[in-house]
This record gives sequence, C-alpha cells and structure tokens, in this order.
Amino acid sequence: MERRTAIKSVALLLGGALSGPTLSAMAIRNGELQPDWVPGALNFTADQQALLAEIAETIIPTTSTPGAKAAGVGPFIELMIKDCYLPAQQQHFMKGLGDIDAESMKNHGKNYVSLSNEQRIAVMTTFEQKAADERKQAAANVVKADVDAETGNVKEVKAKASDPLVPFFSLAKELTLLGYFSSEIGATKALRYVAVPGRFEGSVPYKKGDKAWAT
Amino acid sequence: MNIVGQEKAKSTFDAIVVGSGISGGWAAKELCEKGLKVLMLERGRDIKHIEGYDTAMKDPWEFPHRGRVDNVSREEYWASMRTGYTANEPTRYLFENDKENPYLEKRPFDWIRGYHLGGRSLMWGRQSYRLGDLDFTANAEDGHGVDWPIRYADIAPWYDYVERFAGISGQAEGWGQLPDGQFLKPMDMTVVEKHVKDSMMKTFGRGMTIGRTAILTAPTKIQTDLGRGQCQSRNLCSRGCPFGGYFSTQSATLPAAVKTKKLTLITDKIVYNVIFDEKKNKAIGVRVIDQNTMEQKEYYAKIIFLNASSINSAWLLLNSTSARFPNGLGNDSDQVGRNIMDHHLGAGASGEFEGWEDQYVYGRRANGIYVPRFANWGKDKRKDFVRGFGYQGGGSRDSWGRGNGLKGFGADFKEQLTEPGKWSINLGGFGETLPDPNNRMRLSDKKDKWGLPIVEFDAAWGPNALQMRKAMISDAAEMLEAAGAKNIRTRDEFFKNPGIGIHEMGTARMGRDPKTSVLNQWNQIWACPNVFMTDGAFMASSSCVNPSLTYMAMTARAADYAVKELKKRNL
Repeated sequence: MERRTAIKSVALLLGGALSGPTLSAMAIRNGELQPDWVPGALNFTADQQALLAEIAETIIPTTSTPGAKAAGVGPFIELMIKDCYLPAQQQHFMKGLGDIDAESMKNHGKNYVSLSNEQRIAVMTTFEQKAADERKQAAANVVKADVDAETGNVKEVKAKASDPLVPFFSLAKELTLLGYFSSEIGATKALRYVAVPGRFEGSVPYKKGDKAWAT
Repeated sequence: MNIVGQEKAKSTFDAIVVGSGISGGWAAKELCEKGLKVLMLERGRDIKHIEGYDTAMKDPWEFPHRGRVDNVSREEYWASMRTGYTANEPTRYLFENDKENPYLEKRPFDWIRGYHLGGRSLMWGRQSYRLGDLDFTANAEDGHGVDWPIRYADIAPWYDYVERFAGISGQAEGWGQLPDGQFLKPMDMTVVEKHVKDSMMKTFGRGMTIGRTAILTAPTKIQTDLGRGQCQSRNLCSRGCPFGGYFSTQSATLPAAVKTKKLTLITDKIVYNVIFDEKKNKAIGVRVIDQNTMEQKEYYAKIIFLNASSINSAWLLLNSTSARFPNGLGNDSDQVGRNIMDHHLGAGASGEFEGWEDQYVYGRRANGIYVPRFANWGKDKRKDFVRGFGYQGGGSRDSWGRGNGLKGFGADFKEQLTEPGKWSINLGGFGETLPDPNNRMRLSDKKDKWGLPIVEFDAAWGPNALQMRKAMISDAAEMLEAAGAKNIRTRDEFFKNPGIGIHEMGTARMGRDPKTSVLNQWNQIWACPNVFMTDGAFMASSSCVNPSLTYMAMTARAADYAVKELKKRNL
C-alpha cells in the first residue's frame, strides 16, 4: 500500500483527524496532484454568498449571543475554500451549495435563503445524514494499512483508493465552527477570551453555565 | 601593516561560532564571558528580540485563515507541512521555506529548519530533561553505537550551570532514571493529571511529573538582569515571547554575550567551508557566502565552534575537503553524516473521564506532564526491544473543537459548545532510537541557489523502534484504563518519517576511538582539535528525553575546556 493511502486509512480510523489541506498537501508532495490552483479562479456569486451565510447561521444561529452571520463566517468560509482547498474539494463544496438549493426547491418550493428556520433545519439534517453516508462509503473504500513487520515500511499495493473528499455538510460545519469560535464575537461573547492570563491555575471552581475559554 | 593585512586583521577573531541557535548562543556567551573576541555567524536574517516577533501579540481573529495553511504556503513549506503545525499561519514566519531551501530524500526525512538569528531556539518545545547514567552507559551495555566517552558525573555540574542561567521550571522527584535539576517552581497540574498520576503510581509504581520546561515561573536576578520576565501563561511561545518568558538566544544568551562587548554578530552569512591549513595542521577560519548579495568572504580565528545544527554542521564538514581530509574535515572515520537519530513519537493513547464537572483551569499552560522511562529500567525488562521511552501529554477539558466529532448543529448545539466538555488526557510516547551507520545524510550532486551542494537523506526507523512503539501504545492504554478512563483511543503515526521529532542528532558522534568516532570527549574533532562541535551532532546515543538541555550543558563544558587549552597554548 502506498504511504498516502495508509495515512488516509489511519485518519479515517481516527475519525477523520487529518484535515482536507493535509491530505491535499500530501497529494501535491507525492506528485499525484498538481497544485493548479489559481488565485481568484473560483468565484462565488452574490446568491452563493448569501446562501453560505445562511447555512453558517443555521449551524451556529443567533441565540443569547450573536450567531455566525454577525461573526462574518460566510465570507470566512469563502476565503478558506478559495485559498486552502484544491480544485476537486472546491468543486465538491460548490456542488454541495447547489444541492442545498435543489433540495430546498424540491421539498419546500423555495431557495434555502427564503425558507423558514424549521425548513432550513430539515434540509440541513438531510445533508448531515448524507455526509455520514459519504464518510462511511469512503472508509469502506480505503484499504487497511499493510505494514512490513521487519522494516516498518508500508507495503505498496497496486489497488489505489479513491481520494475521499470531505462531504459538503462536514466541511461547512467544520469551517463554521472554526470561523465562529475564533472570531472576535465568538471568542469574546459566546466564549471567554483573555489575551494575557498572567498565571496558570490547574484547578479553579466551575459552575454550569460558565463559558468555556476560547483558547 | 599593508592594506591586505589590515583587512585580514579586521576579519580575525579569537573564536568563530557558526550558528546562533540554542548551542551557538551558548558558545558565544561562554566564550565572550571568558574574555575571547568572538564572531557569531548566522546564515539567516536578523530577528530582533520582541520587536521582531511579528505575530506574538495577535488575537486569533487577526489571522485571515485562522491559523491554517493556504495553498501557496503548503507548496512552499512542503517539509514543514508534515509536522502538522510548523507551517501554520502564526508560526510560519519562523520556519524555513522548503521550496527555496530544498533537500533530497533517498528515504524520506522530515527536516524542519529555522534559518534566522536564534535558529530554532525561538520555536523549540522548551522541554528540558537531563540524560541519566543509564543513557551514557547504554551503548556500552547493549552494543549499539559506540560508548560515550563521558558519564553523567562529567556533565552533571554543567547541567546545574546552564539550568540556573536558562531557568528551568520543574519538580524534583529523586528518580534514578531522570536526574533532578536546579528548578524554578513547578507549574500546576490539572485535576485529571493528578488523578492519573496517583493511579499510575498505585497500580504500576510508575511516576508522573509536571513537564520540566525552560520557562520562567519565578525569574531570578540572573534572568531579570537580562530583561527577562515571568511567563504570562498565553501559550503562544513559538511565535516568539515578548516577555522573554522562555529561554531563547534572543532572550538570554545573546544579551549576555552582548554585555561583554566582546561579540561581533553577523547575519546572512552562510558558512560553507572550514579552512584547514595543512602546514599548521589545524583550522584557521571559515569561508562564507552572503545569502542576499552572494559576496564571498573569509573570517579567521584560533578556535571554531560548529553550532549550525546536526545536519548542517555535518554538511559543513563534508563540504570542507582538503588534501588531508579528502572525505570532509575530520571524517577519517567515515562517520560524518551517519548515525542520524531522532525520537520516534506519535504513538500513545488518550481517554476521557467522567466527573470533576465543578473544576476548570485558569490561563494557558505552555507545558504538559512527563512520565519518565520505565521500560527496561529496574525490574521492568522488555524482551522485544532495548532502551525505552517517556510520555508527554496533558489533561484538560475539551474545547469547542469537539463539535466536529459530535452530531448536530443549531441553537442547542451552539450552547453546548460554549461550555467546556469532559476532562480528557493524552499520553504520547517519545522513544529512543538507536545509532545506525546506515541512517545518514550525504551531499548530493545537486546545487542550491548559492551553488552549494544540497543535502540528501537516507534514513528510516529501525526494527527496535517499531517494536517499542507497540509498548508505547499498549502501556499508555493500559494505564489509562486502570485509571478509569473511558473511550480510550490509541494512535500510531507509524507513517511519519525520521526527523518528525525535530531532534535530529548524532551526525558527528563523540567516542573513545578516532577510528569509529568524529569527536573526542571534549567535543573536539579528533584530527583537528581547534574545531569543536556542540550542537546535536555529537550525540552518541539519543536517550528518550528532549536533547536541547544536553546541548547547552555540553557547549558550556566544551567552551570552558577550549579557553583553558587556549591559555595553555595547546590549540
């Protein structure tokens, strides 16, 4: 088995601990993918930007604290998709955006942005399930690592697993959580943030409802 | 004096130090403080203490990609990408652009570099442990590598000396396999760490201590006189510390050397050759090329300290050929560039705990816990492997990041993530690797942009390390299970390459016999004794503990010896 496949199989065993960028980087390094990424080659239309902002807001809505929209998570995800992912993953994500609207039209006769909160949750729940199915399928396609006990080298195998792309919902959720909780609003309003704590204490009292530390 | 003579006099010093990282900084400080006129040469750019730390005071939201790596950087930092953290947005500026500084891999090696003033002292992990007697006798006992020419007693006073200056926080434990040091007050453990510590001792008789780290928990006058301050618990060390809270060249050894007014520091000069004088039968200086202007120049000195890092110091020897040394300076034994060691890691376990829901932490501790070696120590004899491993890790309450592994989204999901999660702990093994002459680096026939030969690596983990990893994983899982952990997950990053520990060492080992080693007991090149190597190159075995403190102690010891020998006119 080749090294990269082995890494991916381990990542999947660990619950997808390796991020898309890590896998893409390995692909470049191994000469399997050319980094044919061109700055600005990927364009989000105004409709797609609006849709993305609403998807993020569905994942992290405004509650007693501001939600993903207020924290600018839509533009953040757009930047991340453009700058940090390779074309195959970018296209998979863009297709997902289209699928969300298609599903919204099919079930509710309207675009996602025009849906009620309950309808949005129903659509996203469908995509959460789809993501779980996609992951299951990807895990099944990856051959288990075969390590030579003598040398520790990962044995080469002819069969090559297809590159598992991160499902739309999983990536949207991951980037929403990152974008929100590392934003100024997320870190200081939804969580607690102290830039310079000044000291460390390994045991302080906590009561239910106290915010978690942002970092 | 003629003009040529004046020019030569301006370029002549008592000592030249090649490199400004952890060991280079120490060499410069010690030699300056002993009255020598010292030139320190650094291949990379200048980085000023505090004002040069570009990202040190940034909040998380000030990074456009929130710390992650973009496509352009991913290509440029292709080696750093393999660590999973060094190429990240906040620290990338201190790591090397691998595209501009390429290397070759006959077998893969992760070479993580920092070409700038201070070298990797700015980004190091700061964990500081002493080697023990078991480490210095290991080669003699099991026959791997060559016997160390020194024992723990030879280095112990020098550990004391460097610890007092650097400032190492830790807890004295009285353990035989891991000697105590001169410690500043220890950092606090979390409740889950204390629990697992007690359980490990009760069930297995194995110890755990708070990490010993080069961070000022309670600075002494030695440190405050240099402008260093107490750690502020931000845990952003590897961006550079504006408080001088951790030991680096910039925060500690450089200001001490500058105080003597004996130091000349020149950056941007790549030392590519040590000049060997056949008549005098010693080295007389170095040749450099300016990394920006390509200007070439020579500098001269009575003694030369090589502190360019294990790989680059070995590269420098291999590139310094002469009629006397056709295979590279000091390479009569053919051991230069061989015996590369590192620590194999990424093998261990983690687990969650129920309870202590009324407990949390304040501040961010830039440190973890340490479990000293227990395998093949005392009565714990292992059949499958020689040597041993320690664990590093830590226990905390889960953060919002757990959300990625949880089902759900929406209001309740968000509220859940605004509170801390369960307590969990992880133990990650750091295993000793064996010296193997077939694990090596060479000069390739390819050249870099300065026309200098590019390094080619040819190394792999050995069978001993791979056997040891099984124990690193199963012992960790067993201890967590005994401590009552739930949802225990093991991990084995067997696919990561040598170099991943960023503890590369051993490329010019010291020994007792010039036929099988490069350096003698004082870190001198056997056949060219006015050249000293005190970076990781000298290591005859790797131990399982983090090596930098040992480089510091051995540098101070070698500098002391060098100056005494100079005064006796023996060099």
